Amino acid sequence: MRRTRSFVVVAGLMAIGMVAAGCSSSTSNDASGSKSASANKPSEINVFTIPSPSADALKKMAPLFTAKTGIKVNFSSTEYGTAHQKALLSIKSKQGAFDVVQFDNTFLPAFAYAGALAPLDDYQKSDAYDLNDFSPALQKYGTYGGKTYGLVLSTEPFITWYRKSILAKANLKAPTTWDEYQAVAKATNSGNTHGQIIGYGTGGGDWWWMQLVWSWGGQLYDKDFKPLVNSPEAVAATQYYKDLLPLAPSGALSFTGDDVTIQYASTQIAQMIQYSGYASGVFDPAKSPVAGDTAVAAVPAGKVNAVELAGWNIGIPSDAPNPDAGWQFLEFALGKENAKKMLEFGAAAIGRKSVTTDPAMLAKYPYLSLLGLDTPGLVVYPYPQLVTWPEFDKACSDGLADILTGKVSVQDGLNALNDKLTLILAKEPKG
Amino acid sequence: MNPPAAPGDVALEPREASLGLGGLPPMKARTSSITRRAKRTAIFGTLPTWLILIPIGAVPLVVGLWLSVRDENLVSPLPATYVGLENYRTDVFNATFGKALIVTLVIMAIGLLVQVPLGLFLAVLLNRAVRGTQLFRSALITPMLLTPVAVALMFRFMFNSELGVINWALSSLHLPRLDWLGESGPALLAVVIVDSWQAVPFIMLLLLAGLTALPQGPKEAASVDGASAWQSFRYVTLPMLTPVLLVTIMIRLIDGFKLFDIIFILTRGGPGTDTQTVSMLDYNTAFTFLATSRAAAIGTVLAILTLPVYFVWIRVTRIEQ
Repeated sequence: MRRTRSFVVVAGLMAIGMVAAGCSSSTSNDASGSKSASANKPSEINVFTIPSPSADALKKMAPLFTAKTGIKVNFSSTEYGTAHQKALLSIKSKQGAFDVVQFDNTFLPAFAYAGALAPLDDYQKSDAYDLNDFSPALQKYGTYGGKTYGLVLSTEPFITWYRKSILAKANLKAPTTWDEYQAVAKATNSGNTHGQIIGYGTGGGDWWWMQLVWSWGGQLYDKDFKPLVNSPEAVAATQYYKDLLPLAPSGALSFTGDDVTIQYASTQIAQMIQYSGYASGVFDPAKSPVAGDTAVAAVPAGKVNAVELAGWNIGIPSDAPNPDAGWQFLEFALGKENAKKMLEFGAAAIGRKSVTTDPAMLAKYPYLSLLGLDTPGLVVYPYPQLVTWPEFDKACSDGLADILTGKVSVQDGLNALNDKLTLILAKEPKG
Repeated sequence: MNPPAAPGDVALEPREASLGLGGLPPMKARTSSITRRAKRTAIFGTLPTWLILIPIGAVPLVVGLWLSVRDENLVSPLPATYVGLENYRTDVFNATFGKALIVTLVIMAIGLLVQVPLGLFLAVLLNRAVRGTQLFRSALITPMLLTPVAVALMFRFMFNSELGVINWALSSLHLPRLDWLGESGPALLAVVIVDSWQAVPFIMLLLLAGLTALPQGPKEAASVDGASAWQSFRYVTLPMLTPVLLVTIMIRLIDGFKLFDIIFILTRGGPGTDTQTVSMLDYNTAFTFLATSRAAAIGTVLAILTLPVYFVWIRVTRIEQ
């Protein structure tokens, strides 16, 4: 039966691929995630990664792990666009190809709901991992439905980046509120200097918009998955988002997340809101002309002192042949002892308190102080934990583009988006 | 029903054929035997091709069709069920698909209007035996040899509003700078430009091959009759080249329906969905939304949409023969 299903899966993949894209699945549900202890210690484990500084750092950790345990670590890497589909397909067809799998936090609900991940609650009680070394917000970062399915591979909240020389020239300080952010942008936006840059582009612009909605006190949907993106708070936040557009470089409507940083690092831009994960690039003088002139601050506060949290998760697939050995590797690489080493190997920081409060590390990486996420009054918003997130995300991005290009007014555009999200959220599994 | 007569067969009256002539076996029987043998040879000769084509072509198409009437998706832990035409109702007969189809057709139409005349012009130019032709031929086919992803990445940098060389060139000419990838019209134009940059050499190459193969007699006769170069081209060369031209257009139409990689890198279908083609929509549904059956429904309709092009192609090929 499984062979027949596998055949159908492969054939289905080919069929859709012939016209554009495709995939298939078997649909058995196996979310047991039990710790099936291997009878013998495996000689090697297989790790599925997505190209990123964190994945590169894991590869650098592997020889150290092998030296300690004798277990060889094999890596296979798939680019972001198809990575989650491939990983899910592999796990759901029970190929047992991987012992560890990296995934974007936005896909955690989908993976968990599909039964593709093993729960890690028992594993992460270990002293070596030390869950209490994380702030409460980060302790919950890999959870879905009350169970932990992903460890924190990177902690990447939005932070404010600014050019010291441009702000100093205008006799301005780093903004602490969104009003100040706009004021700084207006004051510095002249000649070749742009006042600010945030994301507006297709496939990602909505990530910045969500931050604003939360800062304005709005919500994207309620507990019953009823969308709320046309609320007065969301309308005000969206108007602000649109008002900032003329203060960004032209072409901002097409910038990806990476483009936002490239543009900041390549041209004269006073300030930027961007994920902290870009720090290794922006602060590297070899890669960034603005490395010495950039400083960071907490993301501005609005009605709510909100911060959006992004980052990679990593977990153990439900079909992993060697889950215990997989955990051993995760504990070794991401545990309290080696978290600093991961950072030094170029990874985006893991927001452990032992890392973000370490004086030596703070002296070297000043932005770490913003990654603890335990400031009193700070409300941490991870990405919406939705199984339907990819569709939700695309709808928001498309809807906002219509507003930003002036095809529709803010209110009309958000009303239309709300209607679209109603249909999408109706598909969200309840309970 | 009688098999069609093979070339060289003698047409016989039905009565003669049935009786046979001069002790020879009946002609109909002999013809049938030859036809049967020819058929057998044809079947055995093409068998390896069928053995490859059926598994990689027909089976996936059938399975794709089967998937499109189910509710398979990678996220659901529930067993997939038969849903009939539900995926077609929700994902094909909607505004998003309609817009994607219009975008596909617009890109295709503008592309053809730009690419075919340009390709034909270059082919005619390079068909003349003038100095440097070989060098130009080699240089002009270079874009065709590059992977679309690399080309799109290169152009993405070039189209950058602030840092790109294209806006720099426009400014140097005192022309307004454009937000190439951030506004609907310019973004669509950018897609056509990049697609044309790669497609024109292909069209040029096909038409050049067609021009080279044309008999010189009619052109020489036209010349003797006093036709000008333009008249000779318009009334002699072009009609003779029409079958090749039509096949080229058919190939480009099919390419147009499949256009994906350039858009994926250049605009991601944006701004909004203003450059999202049907292939791009299908990709998003399959790989981003992980909705297998819905993607299969879109893919099936896309395949059906290309069928008329296939039939026209067959007809053109017959005319050519």
